[in-house]
Parts: sequence; C-alpha cells; structure tokens
Amino acid sequence: MSVASLLGHHVRLHRVPLVPLALGLALFEGVMTFVAGEPSVTRFLTSVLRSAPPELLALLNQDLLAGVSPRGIVGVGYTHPFALLMMGVWAVRVPSAALAGEVGRGTMDLLASRPVTRAAQVAAALLALLGGLAALALAAWLGTLAGLVLHPVEGVRASAYLPVAGALWALFACFGTIGVLASALARESGPAIAWTSGILAGSYVLDYAARVWPRIAALRPLSLFRYYEPQSALAGGIASADMAVLAGVAAVSVTLAFAVFARRDL
Amino acid sequence: MSAPPIRTRGLGKRYGTLVALEDLSLEVAEGEVFGFLGPNGAGKTTTIRLLLGLLRPDAGEIAVLGQRLPAHAVGWRRAIGFLPGDMAFWPRLSGWETLEFLARLSGRPPTARDRLLARLGLAGAELARPVRTYSDGMKQKLGLVQALQCAPRLVLLDEPTKGLDPLVQQAFYEIVADLKRGGATVFLSSHVLPEVERVCDRVAMLRRGAVVSLGDVEALRRSERRRVVADFAEPVDAARLAHFGEVVVARAEHVELLVAPAELPALISRLGMLPLADLVVERPTLEEAFLEHYR
Repeated sequence: MSVASLLGHHVRLHRVPLVPLALGLALFEGVMTFVAGEPSVTRFLTSVLRSAPPELLALLNQDLLAGVSPRGIVGVGYTHPFALLMMGVWAVRVPSAALAGEVGRGTMDLLASRPVTRAAQVAAALLALLGGLAALALAAWLGTLAGLVLHPVEGVRASAYLPVAGALWALFACFGTIGVLASALARESGPAIAWTSGILAGSYVLDYAARVWPRIAALRPLSLFRYYEPQSALAGGIASADMAVLAGVAAVSVTLAFAVFARRDL
Repeated sequence: MSAPPIRTRGLGKRYGTLVALEDLSLEVAEGEVFGFLGPNGAGKTTTIRLLLGLLRPDAGEIAVLGQRLPAHAVGWRRAIGFLPGDMAFWPRLSGWETLEFLARLSGRPPTARDRLLARLGLAGAELARPVRTYSDGMKQKLGLVQALQCAPRLVLLDEPTKGLDPLVQQAFYEIVADLKRGGATVFLSSHVLPEVERVCDRVAMLRRGAVVSLGDVEALRRSERRRVVADFAEPVDAARLAHFGEVVVARAEHVELLVAPAELPALISRLGMLPLADLVVERPTLEEAFLEHYR
C-alpha cells in the first residue's frame, strides 16, 4: 500500500518532464526511419563516412564503415547522444529527487514519520525509475514503428528494434540504480545528481576513448557503455553476457542502496 | 498498566564531535501535554527526530507507544502525528493533494480534517492552489492539519505556532486542549514560554543537550527563586542582605533580591528589623525561570 502511494507520488512529481522526454525520443526515432529510407541519404552518408576519421565514427559507437544500410541507420538512433541524453535525464533526475531530494527539501520528515518502511521508499524510487525508463524506451520503439508504418523501408522491420530498445532500457536502468545508491547516501539532490551524471558521462567518455586510443583499450570493460551494442543486438539479439554484467552492477547497487538507506540518519 | 507513550533512558546523540543530546531520561504519560523548552541548538529537534526513528541514537533506549526503537516495524507510526520544525512541502502539489497523500500514507482516515480546516481558517479555494503560493503562516496551518487530520494518539509538534497570527494561535491552543480532553498525548517543543505555560502540564528545559529542569509547570515556578523588592524609609546597606540571596538592584532605600523559597522566612524576619516601608515578593513567570537556567 505504501509503495503504491509513494509510486503515485513520484509519478505526480515527474509526469510533466516524462511527456516531453518520451515525445522527443519518439519523434527522433521516427525521423531516423525517414532518413534511413532515403537512398540519396544513404549514398551521402556512405561517402561522408568513408572520408570521416575513425575517431568520429567511434563517437557513434558504430562500425559504420562495414556497410551503411537503412537498418544500421535506424539503429544509430538508439546510440545517438540525443537518445542517450533523453534516457540519462530520467536516470539521473528520478533517483536523485526520490531519496536525497526529499531529505534535502525537508519533506522526508513527512514521509518517514508515517508507517512507511525505508525499504518501501527505496522500492518506490526504483519502480518510478524503471517504469519511466521503460516508458521512454517504449516511446523510442513506438517512434521507430510509427516511422516505418508511415514510411516503410525495404528490409527493415520494427520488431528488430525491440531488443535494441530493451538493451537501451537495461543500460540506463543500470545507471539509474547507481543513482538510487548515490541518492540513498546523500543529504541533498545536488551531490546525488553530480555523482550519477558524473559516472554516466565518465563511462561514456571512457568507452569512446578506449575505442579510439589503443593504449587504453583494455579499460573499456570498465565502462557500462561497453555492454550496450545495438548493432550486435540487431544482428543476433542481445548478448546475454552483456546483460549479465548490467544486471550484476544493478543488483549490487540496489542491494547497497537498501542497506545504506535502512541504517542512515534522515 | 500500559506503557507510557514516550519513554527514554540515557538517550544520547552525537553529530561527529558535537554532543547534540546527552543522557536524556524522561517519561511522558498518556493524555499529558508535555513541553520541551530550550534555546536553539539545545537538542529539542534532535529529541523529536529520535522519537520518530528518523535518527538512530548513539546511546540509551527509546520506546514510543510501546515500540522500542530503532525498529523495522513501522505500524506504531499510524498513531502518530508530527509537525516538523522547518515545515516543507512539495511546491507543485496543492494543499488538498498534500493532505490526501499524507493521509493515505498514514493508513488511517482523516476524520479530524474538516474540523481542523475550519478552526484554522484554511478554505477550500486556498487548498486548491499549489503550496508554492502559500505564505509561511498558511504552510504552518497546513502542517498542523496534516499532523492532526488522522486523529493521532501521540502528537509531536516542533515549534507549532511559528508564523501563526494571534487568532490562529488561539485556535491552536483550543485544539491542544481538545486533544488532551480526547486522551491524546502531546509533546511540543517551543520557544514561546507563555504558550508552554498555558498549554503544558509538565515541562523539561534543555541546555546543550542535557535536561536542566523537569517538572510540572507550577512546581517549576514554585521551585525557582522569588524576586523580593524591598523599599526602606532610609538608606540601608544591601550587602547585609546578600547572604539570603542574590542582590540584583541596590539603590539607597531600594533593594531587589532573588531568593530561594527556603530562605524567605529568614529574610523576612531580617527585613522586619530594618526600617522597611514596602515589601513585594513576586513569583517568577516561566519565562523568568527559563532565563534563570540559561543566563
């Protein structure tokens, strides 16, 4: 009962930003299907990419030179910094506001003085995080679906992108659980936001740097973005080893968040 | 016999090297209105937060409504109403949404809500507005309603009249009297001494995390030193009276002393031997008793 009430509370607080984030993602993925369906665009991109430095291509986390295809261009929509930013906003905002934000604002006193366990508070924050990310990943896929329905592209099926949207959800769910842990530790939302967005941005930069700079290539497994490979997901489904790593990091973060928040002073 | 609503033994809390509360032992009986007095930083808010389980004690024991703390169980909080000292709400929620949400979390129906809204003068139109548009006084009124709307058995109020105008303060005193009549226990911290004197049965005074005085308001006033104002027909040497108490004013024919109740008979006998023109013995107000502890 209290988890449901708290979840409703989080939805009330965050429903306004969820709508533009979801619409932005859907629109962006829809536009990518239109781009992918234009042969002139495909030709243009192929020529541009052949002349582009590999460092630039690495930024898009794609092996684009292996062959620019409409299917691959739609996939780029799931690794593009815009899509990552939309998902990242939710993964940082909701956990930070849920625990540390309530403590910092002073409203935690109103919640924690009622018959609500601390575990329920962490659980509600997690559900709001995961539910919102699922809505965003679904919005991205619906954008792809709508684009392909309105503007069919030969050889490209929307269903092929469901695992990609799932992998996108898993990646940001993992970052979000790190955000829940940061929030469980902090006394205000500011430090929680800083830690979560810092880890997210640091992970992105490390993944990019490790791909373009061979001397630090061995560090790439330390980045969570290493375990998000949309093109591989398109080719052969989601790699279970990648998902296992993301799930493991998330499980550790969530366990620590429950333990820390249950014992701390509010 | 049921356990008292609040019982602490040797309760202590530190923030790093700062001792916020030390060896606090008190019992608050069912149906009692208990005042907690002290200057800023004395440990009042820390005590209330310990009683709610928001903080974990570093020493001692706490039992609230029979539940020993800290505890995983939270059911005991259904019977609690709490007003924080620094009232904060979710700025985008309306007053109604706030009250509804908090009542739902409390797990009890808000049976007292309408009556409280009427007495504190919070109208429906105001409750429909987002809380961010509220004045401090309105937020405090909303805070009182959320604390009391589910008819709690134990009420913890941290500076309850902060920001309230005198009319609403009056309404608040009546609400506390009603709570007491209904058998609820009220634990309130305050700086407003006449308020504590007016509504509380017993009072504890806190200084630097330790209780310096604990007792019923009347007994506390009785135990404090009396102000003795003596006017003489001719100048007297006030130093000759100093061993009866503390001479606070000495001006030729006019002398004022602070004297312990036990010293009064001897002092009056001595004054009778002097050319006494007028004599007034004043009982201290709670404020004077309070100041005596913190000077």
